[in-house]
Formats: sequence, structure tokens, C-alpha cells
Amino acid sequence: MKLTTALSASLFAVTAAMIPRAAMADVSPLDLVGPIADYKIYVSENLEVLVTDTKAFTDAVKAGDLEKAKSLFGSTRMSYEAIEPIAELFSDLDGSIDSRADDHEKAEKDPEFTGFHRIEYGLFAENSTKDLAPFADKLMADVTELNKRITDLTLPPEKVVGGAAALMEEVAATKISGEEDRYSHTDLWDFKANFDGSRKIFELVRPLVEKDDSAFVIKVSGNFDKVDKTLAKYKTEQGYELYDKLTDDDRAVLAAAVNTLAEDLSTLRGKLGLN
Amino acid sequence: MATDETKLITTRRGLLFGAGVAGSALAAGLTSAHSVQKQGEQVADAPVSDKTQERQSFYGPHQAGIVTPRPAAGMIASFHVLAQTPDDVERLFRTLSGRIAFLMQGGTPPELDDKLPPADSGLLGPVVPPDNLTITVSLGSSFFDQRDWLAPYKPLRLSRMKAFRNDALDADLCHGDLALQISSNTPDTNIHALRDILKNLPDLMVLRWKQEGSVPVLPPKPDGTHESARNFLGFRDGSANPDATDAPLMDKIVWVAEESDEPDWARGGTYQAVRIIRNFVERWDRTPLGEQERIIGRKKPTGAPYGGHTEHDVPDYSKDPDGAITPLDAHIRLANPRTKQSDSNLILRRPFNYSNGVSKSGQLEQGLLFICYQADLEKGFIAVQKRLDGEPLEEYIKPIGGGFFFTPPGPRDEADFVGRTLLEAAGHAVTRLKS
Ligand code: HEM
Repeated sequence: MKLTTALSASLFAVTAAMIPRAAMADVSPLDLVGPIADYKIYVSENLEVLVTDTKAFTDAVKAGDLEKAKSLFGSTRMSYEAIEPIAELFSDLDGSIDSRADDHEKAEKDPEFTGFHRIEYGLFAENSTKDLAPFADKLMADVTELNKRITDLTLPPEKVVGGAAALMEEVAATKISGEEDRYSHTDLWDFKANFDGSRKIFELVRPLVEKDDSAFVIKVSGNFDKVDKTLAKYKTEQGYELYDKLTDDDRAVLAAAVNTLAEDLSTLRGKLGLN
Repeated sequence: MATDETKLITTRRGLLFGAGVAGSALAAGLTSAHSVQKQGEQVADAPVSDKTQERQSFYGPHQAGIVTPRPAAGMIASFHVLAQTPDDVERLFRTLSGRIAFLMQGGTPPELDDKLPPADSGLLGPVVPPDNLTITVSLGSSFFDQRDWLAPYKPLRLSRMKAFRNDALDADLCHGDLALQISSNTPDTNIHALRDILKNLPDLMVLRWKQEGSVPVLPPKPDGTHESARNFLGFRDGSANPDATDAPLMDKIVWVAEESDEPDWARGGTYQAVRIIRNFVERWDRTPLGEQERIIGRKKPTGAPYGGHTEHDVPDYSKDPDGAITPLDAHIRLANPRTKQSDSNLILRRPFNYSNGVSKSGQLEQGLLFICYQADLEKGFIAVQKRLDGEPLEEYIKPIGGGFFFTPPGPRDEADFVGRTLLEAAGHAVTRLKS
């Protein structure tokens, strides 16, 4: 991607008019320009990977290469999951790319059910690539469109900063249960990407919070470390163990870390004076 | 994925000006709406109660919510506890006690900057009313088993609940490291309390399951006497409960006594047995009244035992050895044969009725959130349940969840906290914050 475009777009977004006076930390609106610009780069890099990975994944589906398609499913989703709060800004695309069967009235049989999880259903539940080509084409087209829309998008600072907590809310609400990737059980890949995406945002604004609230920063990093340590136990050569391998105790450790991160990160916007 | 509300205004102009325009329109709209004074009761007016300032004390030799009269709404919430080290367990006990003290007392939560999430969910309004709330903390067997430094101090009779004959236990509704019994005048007050605790202890405990229940409310009787509420089988429940206002009796039946063989720290505590017992109410409602009464052993309208007039009449089984009056396999006769030996099996029941939804077969998922307290779990709940195994009532009930817990003694005063005696027994130095 073109660095200059991203930077200038971001600079545009962060104007003094948009950001009210800082409430907690002594943060001026201009302090956020750098972090938001860096985040835009992070998003663009992830989108680039997403487009490339989705191409390889959908090509395998269309070529009828079941094993290859299965093996690419978990990793392909990661770049989407890492930037989910931004990808989700376009609810039409988020619906067609990442909705789950229970978002639809007729569940798996619903014609509106498309995207990653529809293909996942075919590959892992029906164990076949049969009839998946149209879904593969649609996913590729949607991902391409998402990339285009986000490239043109000015990232709203409160969405970026709020994204750190939003990612944890996603995990807390629907991923701890293992219902996200219910056919493939590759939830730990999603987890990892969600946490990395959240941590990236936190790290970018960390210097702004650190000087006024070092206890907060230490607590949040500590919980991210705890998550990394727990997930590392399940690391394999290709990626992560299937979700059913997660012990009840580790699931509770992750759940507690996610809930705590969600509570703490829910104050991040306010700490930076964003509404 | 995103919910529908997150639909985005994607143009830069929309992003910049959308909120401002909407905001000012709203402000303008409010002025006119407020100037209209509505007369009379409106459909969405809050129901009124004069009981919201009723308050129970958190402090004393025993925890509240055990001999406390059962209010209209109850809940059991079971948690997985993350706290492992003595320091973390102390933080858990202290934070929990601090929250309970505030919630039972009521008051105004701190006001934070409006750019931050509020300190309180606000669902009871800006001032939290006490509303007769009690929160009772109890510890499961796993709480001790999974912490080497606590294992030696586990109450002697605390075990992991095993399935009884008629049980069909759902693993997702069983056991737990820590259980909270939350009861108050309204379900909303209980839910408020639960949300407060979840919000304040996210790193120390994770919710595993919960079951809410209720008790039907009766009008006061002119002569000031009380009657037992009914369960979902339509029978009075609690008639033969031991008298909770009789302190010496409670010392015998409910509280772990000074001279008991339990660890010192447990004195003044009690064992809590929780059972989620589904009732097949459709089938029960299609059962002849006479049979219903024979199964329970009491008359349905009054709750009186056979041959009695009121629910408080006491059956005399010594004059009825063959079950000609009260069938030998009636629920109350098996639960308490009223012999010399069965005197050691008395328990204090404090159940709530629950109603959850509809089964896959289209039947009501209703039943009894059975809770009982006793000084000796084995001689109490376990012995009684073993006697009930095989009872005719089983055709209409199915236990699906629950667990066994130990309820530590109460905090003595504001400087104290639930669980302190256990920590001290385990050699963890605890500082009393204030006195
Ligand atoms: C859904 C399940 C149950 C229902 C519908 C039920 C219903 C009743 C009813 C209607 C009574 C008579 C009124 C009273 O004294 O309270 C009673 C008494 C009693 N029940 Fe239950 N009960 C259930 C489960 C249990 C369980 C699990 C236990 C203990 C293991 C138990 C122990 C007792 C005892 C000890 C009495 C008092 C007997 C006496 O002292 O005369 N019940 N129950």
C-alpha cells in the first residue's frame, strides 16, 4: 500500500474539532495523530495479507482441493480478525464475510448465509468442496471490496481506540464458547488474531496513557502476557490446536483475562479524552 | 460480526457532522416533551413497593441469607475461581465482601467522568436501594482441592456432589469453586448485585452457571400469622421446616458448633446443598388430586398432614405404623420419619421456584431451586436424599444440577471479611484494615 495516502488520510481524521478536551490523561488531540496513522498502516498491511490469503484459500476451494482449503482456513481468517473493529464498520460486508449460521433464520440452509463460515461449513461439516465455488467467488469479491473501502476510509479515532475493547467484547461474547469456528474448531487462531489486534491498538496509545496511569498500563500488559502464555501452550507447527483441546482451566484463564481486558480497555477511550 | 446498530455513515462528512446534528435535534425535542405533564397512572410507570428500604445486616457470627426469611426472589450463581495464591484469594474475599457490604447497605455509587463507563449499571437508579438483599458466599470442594495450601483445611464433610439415583445431571449446571446465593425482594435487585460483582471481580472469578427463582407473594393475614408459600406443584413448601427464629435449634441443626470435629475456622459456618430439580408440571397437573396428596403426604389446599387441620399440625407416625393415614412412601414421611434417629437428619430448606423456558418437547422447564443448610452435610442433605431415593414423587421430578458448598462464618464487623478465618487457619497473615 501507499504509505503517504494512509498518513494523509489519517491526519485528516484527527482534527482538533473532532476530539473534545482530554478528560483523564493530559492528551492533546494532536497526540493521537501518530498512533492513528500507524494504526492505518497496520490495517492496510493486514488487508493486503487478507486479500492474498483469501485468494489462495478460495482458489483451493474452487480447485476442489479439500485438504489444502481446510489447512488454509484458520490462517486466512487471522488478518480479518485482527482488524475486525474496522472491518465491521461496513456492516453489509461484515455480514456477508463473517456472519455465522445462527445469524440467519434458516441457519446453514439460509441463502443469505455466505462468507468464511459458509465455506467452513462445507469443508468441515460436509467434508466437501462441492457447490462451494459461488461462495468462494463471493468471498473474494467481498474481501476485495472491503480492502478498497477501507483504503478510502478516514479512521475515526474513537473507533480505533474503542476497537481495543471491542475486540475483547467479541471474544467474551461469542468466542470463549467455541461457537465461532464451530465446524473447524480453529477458534484459537481467531483468538490470537483478536488479541494481537487489540494489543496493537493498546501499544500504539500506550505512551499517552503511561505517564498518567502506569498502574493501568502494567495491569493491561500483564493480562495480554497471560493470554499469550496460555495460547502458547497450544501452539503447533502450522498454527494452533483445535479448540476442543483447550482444558476447562485454561478456558477459564482466558475468559477471566478477556473479561478483565474488556473492563480495563473500556476506559481507554475516556482516558484519551475521546467520546 | 457487527450488530445492525453499527451501520456506518461512511462519508467523511457524515462522520464529522452526523453526531452533532442528531445531538442538537434531540436537545430541542426534549424541551417540548418535558413541558407536557401527564396526569394519572401511565402504562410504563414503575410498580410501587414500600419495601425497597428493608435492609439485612451483613455482619455477625453467621452469614446473612440462611436463617433470614426467604424474600420473593432468589438466585444461585456458581463461579470458577482464578485466584490461586493466598494474596489473590485474600483480594477475592475482601473485594467480594466489600461489594456485598455496599450492595446490602445500599447507597450512591461513585460518579465518574462521563467519558468513562459508569461505576454502576444503574438499573436500580442512581441510588442503590438495599431492597432486603442478602448475598451468601459459599465454597465448593474444588476450591480447596485445587489449592494445595488450602486442601488441608477443607471442611471434613465437603465433597463434590455425586449423582443420586434419579439424577440426570447436566455438567454445565453443576458444582463450582464458589457459589453466591443472592436473594432480595425483586429479581432486578438480584441481577443488579450479580452484575456489580461480575464487573468488580473479572480477573478473580468467571461465571459458570446461574439459576434464578421466585416465591409467590401472599397478602398479609389479619391475625399477623404467616403461611408457607407454594411450590410449582401447588403444595405449600416449608411447613415442617425447623423454626429459624429458635437460635438454640439453629445451633444444633444449621451451624457448625464449637465442639464439632470440623476445622476451627469453620465454626459458625454451615453446609449448603443446592439442587436444580425439574418438575414435570404438565403431567403433575394431569394427576388426580388424591394421588398428588398421597405422594407428598399432605392435603393440597391447606398443606395440613393427613388428619390435621393446618400446615403446622404435626403427624404422629407412631400411631400409623402401616401407613394407613400417611403412606409410608409419602415424600414427607421418607424425608422425615420423625423417629429418634431421624432427629439428627434435620435440615433447613430455603428453596425458590424456577421457570426457564420450554423444552424441545414443548413442555415447561420449571422446577425447584432447592437450597438447604445443615451443620453436617452427610447426616443432613445426603442422608435425607438417600431416603427419598425411589420415592413415588420421582416420576414427576428430575434433578438436573446443583452442587455442595461450605458457607464460611459471617464477617464480624466492617474490618472483617468472609473467608478471613480460613486464610488465617492456612497461615496467611491477614491485616485488619480498620476497626
Ligand atoms: C422438586 C422437588 C421437591 C418438592 C416438590 C418437594 C415438596 C415438598 C413438600 C410439598 C413438602 C411438605 C411441606 C413442607 O414441610 O415443606 C416437603 C417437605 C420436605 N421435603 Fe421436599 N420437596 C422436594 C425435594 C426435596 C428434597 C431434594 C429434599 C431433601 C433431600 C426434601 C426434603 C424435605 C423435607 C426434609 C421435608 C419436611 C418433611 C417433614 O419434616 O415432615 N425435599 N417437600
